[in-house]
Amino acid sequence: MIFDVIEQSLRQQPRVIPVEALLGNCQGSRMPEVVADRLTPAIAQKLVEVCPTAAFATEDCGGLRSLRLDYGRCIGCGRCAETGEGAVVAAERFALCGVAKEQIVRRWDIDGHVEIAARAVCADRVRGKIYTLLQRALNIRQLDSGSCNGCETEITALTNPYYDLERFGIHFVASPKHADMLLVTGPVTRNMAAAVKAAYEAVPEPKLVVAVGACGCSGGIFAGSHAIVGAVDAVIPVDGYIPGCPPTPAMLVTGILEVLRRRIAI
Amino acid sequence: MVTIPHTAEGRPARLVTLFGRVDARGSKQAHYIFDGGRPAYAEVVLPADGSLRSLTLQTPAAAWHERELHDQFGIHIVGHPDLRPLIFHENWPEGVHPMVDAVSDVPWSNRSYRFLEVQGEGVAEVGVGPVHAGIIEPGHFRFSVVGDTILHLELRHFYTHKGTEKLFQGRTVADGVMLAESVSGDNCFAHAVCYCQAAETALGICVPQRATAIRLIGLELERLVCHISDLGGLCTDVGFAVAAASATRIKEALLQASAQCCGTRYWRGMSVPGGLRRDFESARVVELVRAVAAASAEFANLTRMILETPSIQNRFEGAGILRSETARDLGIVGPVARASGIDYDVRRDHPYGGYGRQMEVPITHYGDVMARARIRIDEAAISARLIQEAAGALLQGSIFEPAIPARDALGFSAVESPRGELLYWLEVRGGRLARCHVQSPSFQNWPAMSFAVADNIIADFPLINKSFNLSYSGCDR
Repeated sequence: MIFDVIEQSLRQQPRVIPVEALLGNCQGSRMPEVVADRLTPAIAQKLVEVCPTAAFATEDCGGLRSLRLDYGRCIGCGRCAETGEGAVVAAERFALCGVAKEQIVRRWDIDGHVEIAARAVCADRVRGKIYTLLQRALNIRQLDSGSCNGCETEITALTNPYYDLERFGIHFVASPKHADMLLVTGPVTRNMAAAVKAAYEAVPEPKLVVAVGACGCSGGIFAGSHAIVGAVDAVIPVDGYIPGCPPTPAMLVTGILEVLRRRIAI
Repeated sequence: MVTIPHTAEGRPARLVTLFGRVDARGSKQAHYIFDGGRPAYAEVVLPADGSLRSLTLQTPAAAWHERELHDQFGIHIVGHPDLRPLIFHENWPEGVHPMVDAVSDVPWSNRSYRFLEVQGEGVAEVGVGPVHAGIIEPGHFRFSVVGDTILHLELRHFYTHKGTEKLFQGRTVADGVMLAESVSGDNCFAHAVCYCQAAETALGICVPQRATAIRLIGLELERLVCHISDLGGLCTDVGFAVAAASATRIKEALLQASAQCCGTRYWRGMSVPGGLRRDFESARVVELVRAVAAASAEFANLTRMILETPSIQNRFEGAGILRSETARDLGIVGPVARASGIDYDVRRDHPYGGYGRQMEVPITHYGDVMARARIRIDEAAISARLIQEAAGALLQGSIFEPAIPARDALGFSAVESPRGELLYWLEVRGGRLARCHVQSPSFQNWPAMSFAVADNIIADFPLINKSFNLSYSGCDR
């Protein structure tokens, strides 16, 4: 009976994961982390060869032989960690969620064994700022532009008792007209391109767009298909990128809050 | 025209799938796969350079397959009652067939599309989607209603069509897994295993026992997670938020246990042709089994309480009835078929991996939302038991058997995914994939939706839709 369900629910221990434990957490995503000390030109070449989505590339960066890693393309398959002879490991922390397009790429000097240009640091005290800016009311409309539904299942998880996105005053709404933010998943297919544009137009200003997952960030494994237009930013302007295939709920929370933090900083 | 084989009982065999292929000489072929009952699937190949006679009027299950064949390969189907474009929408120019034509820089077009128009006094049309109100995939539903009652539902899908089958072509066999994992994200392990089994048949690889057992654990865990999630979704759609939240909690515990065990929440990157990419530590297996036992007990308790709730009974019972004959005509598979009295499960009827013929398969005949909910509840309990048995009997040993390098080969495999019969058919030519066909249970089951919702009120559509739980991306590919 209905009262038994409610009673049993009330007897449950709270499951909510504290925000501090969520931010930067990437467990379950298999995002790669490069160990610069162990990089050699041969390993770099091997990484480029094994990556199925060309997330790794070698390039000349101001006269330096460099290794480039575009996290927006990475599907977390873990092949690089298997073949990288210790030069790539699974990341324990991952901060590049919700960042701008140019920040989602990292580069290492292969011969000098250092990273070229420092990466963005994820702020950990965003909670107060969200409350100030939004008065605890950010409305998100999730928009599937052609996803495989992997990202949807993880976004749905954000409302479960462990992640409880509503504690930040963030709600999922049914219409783009009620939304402040579009959370767009998937490559934009040809068949969805018109609907994606229409949904974007329907969101009132000021609006934020976040591209979610390898497909949303770069087209991912579907890049180059005749049936897709491209990444989300090929169709509408994007404010922040959350990589992963799919990004875990912790990465989604980190990314959504980071987009807001950057918006406040501007 | 293809002759439909018969089963031992004298019934026409079920059409499992129908797909096109261009052979090494450049000729088009149409491949029909039938299930004539035990033991094996039967494949019939017809030359298709000219036109093909339609099978749709004999077996309506062929309708969408033939439309896809027409769209993708430009094969004309003679005698098909409805050859409107299925996969490609108004934006796609007429006469461009991606599986045979060049597809770089395909121009944008603006063709028209005609929906079936239901005429009569008081008939109104309600269009829903492609963008729906919720965290859900896109698709278009065109209802013709009188008042609240649905007279007819026309589906328009393939908004998430990503040209996946074409993308397989030219990849190495090992690289194909990642694409298979992205056909339908919430069933990614079933897709990965099915693809790998097809590749293993083609390349003649014998998977080590330990890998087979761990795959079984993964497949059943995926089913358990999906069924828990579906029951939660059904509760959401009738406004029973507390029960829905409890289901999400149980599901999340299993996903976290998976991440601890294999590094990803949905077992992505685990399966590979030849076995598995990483092994489990014994301690992790014990933890996973403990998590499964806890989740299964909690879910059984929760669903008992849900089904005893009168308002749930009121909404679930009699809603969205799919008649057994309709299900049979359309070749419906999975829990939806089993809720409509079709006694079919790939695990038992075409055993693969660690499954055998003694598999218990729950069946019910009512075909309504309640029947589909009950089937899932029963299957979840069986899955939990299978996981525990497999984990208890897990042998030590290797988890990977390397493939013999590149040769030309064909292979196919079927798997009972959480949504039903999933089939991969692939051809390797010179070490690379020349063709990979994905037959997803969602593609097979979507057409039944129109029959299940007829005569129901439009407000029950989300509930009925959820009780089918079909993947849009799996269907659209």
